[in-house]
Amino acid sequence: MMDHARYRSAVLADPHDPDPDLRAHRESCAECRAFTEQVLRFESRLERALLVDIPPKAVVLPFARKAATAAQGRRWMAMAASVLLGLVIAGGVWVTFPQRSLAADVVAHMAEEPDAWQRTDVPVPSLKLNAVLQESKLRLKPDAGIVSYASSCDFRGHKVPHLVVQTQSGPVTVMVLVHEPVRNPKQFDEQGYRGTIVPVPGHGSIAVLMRDVRSGGGDVEAIAAKVDAAIVWMP
Amino acid sequence: MNDEVGGNQRRARFQALCQSLRPDLLRFAFWLSRDRALAEDVVQESMLRAWKAQDSLLDEAAAKPWLLTIIRREYARTFERKRFPTVDVDELIAKEEPMLAAAEEQSISDVRSALMKLPDEYREPLILQVLMGYSTAEIARELDLSGPAVLTRLCRARQKLRAACGEDTSLDPQE
Repeated sequence: MMDHARYRSAVLADPHDPDPDLRAHRESCAECRAFTEQVLRFESRLERALLVDIPPKAVVLPFARKAATAAQGRRWMAMAASVLLGLVIAGGVWVTFPQRSLAADVVAHMAEEPDAWQRTDVPVPSLKLNAVLQESKLRLKPDAGIVSYASSCDFRGHKVPHLVVQTQSGPVTVMVLVHEPVRNPKQFDEQGYRGTIVPVPGHGSIAVLMRDVRSGGGDVEAIAAKVDAAIVWMP
Repeated sequence: MNDEVGGNQRRARFQALCQSLRPDLLRFAFWLSRDRALAEDVVQESMLRAWKAQDSLLDEAAAKPWLLTIIRREYARTFERKRFPTVDVDELIAKEEPMLAAAEEQSISDVRSALMKLPDEYREPLILQVLMGYSTAEIARELDLSGPAVLTRLCRARQKLRAACGEDTSLDPQE
């Protein structure tokens, strides 16, 4: 014969357990029957509580429709691309799409200015650096390190400061993305670049990246934090 | 050509599968992380990983546990990549207020707040059981625990939740 404590522990572990011994005990014990009813009432609340609302658009995946079309004749590569795009677009409604494509765009931008990556201890003329920074209403504290490259670049329809800061781990590219807010830090590692995009509340985000990461590289997160701390936002 | 058509059909099935499971996966990730933004990131990464690795899913019936495992690993990875600061649960609850307060009844909101405060070791098996419909054996396998350990955690999870929600716990077994 099962005792009360064992029965109640079993019911708390799984209120819907169909075990015949549990049922037999329940039928023979009024107190445990009342206990079970109490637990089941709470279980119903628990089940409802776990069903947090998911916005309807969050579960609409347009790739499903695209896939159906693709199955009628598109080539596999085209379908895979549309499906991935669909996943990302659908996710954009409820899932944070911008960070992914933002990282890809930052990496793509690196290919446009390969000369910026030189290892050097020669800083860019302060006149040029200040002009680039002022265009985005910011300045850098001296402890940011040697800035060897500064350019105001077209990026996603805006002019953004593209800087190269010389660190002990080598040159590090910094892009100040005032128009690209992100919710969470996002690390990426692609095409030979390792980096992070960190949110700057009220000022978009900062992308920091290094290359030739196989040769060791440094702590890109720490560098991002240092750069972030060195930026002074002008009113 | 037939291989290509077969591959397309298989992928279309996979996409439909992901679509049907997506709400559950998002909810699971939310309760795992207690952070909507983080849950979104985790599910996004997990779906992309699953898409790339879909050939390793041999049995569609196993898609749900397969995806859940990917999500759990991806969630763990976020902690490997970045050391998160210690969280203040009250702050988390305040931050997720719109999601938690969406329930029409105060009693449901109370349970949600209590769930947010439930330690991970109790919350995770409970989510797997109640939300995902896992059996004790499946939870044990997923969390690498023994069956009795899972039952103990589930029992304590409900005890703590009920107590936090002001339920009468006078008949509860003593811990």
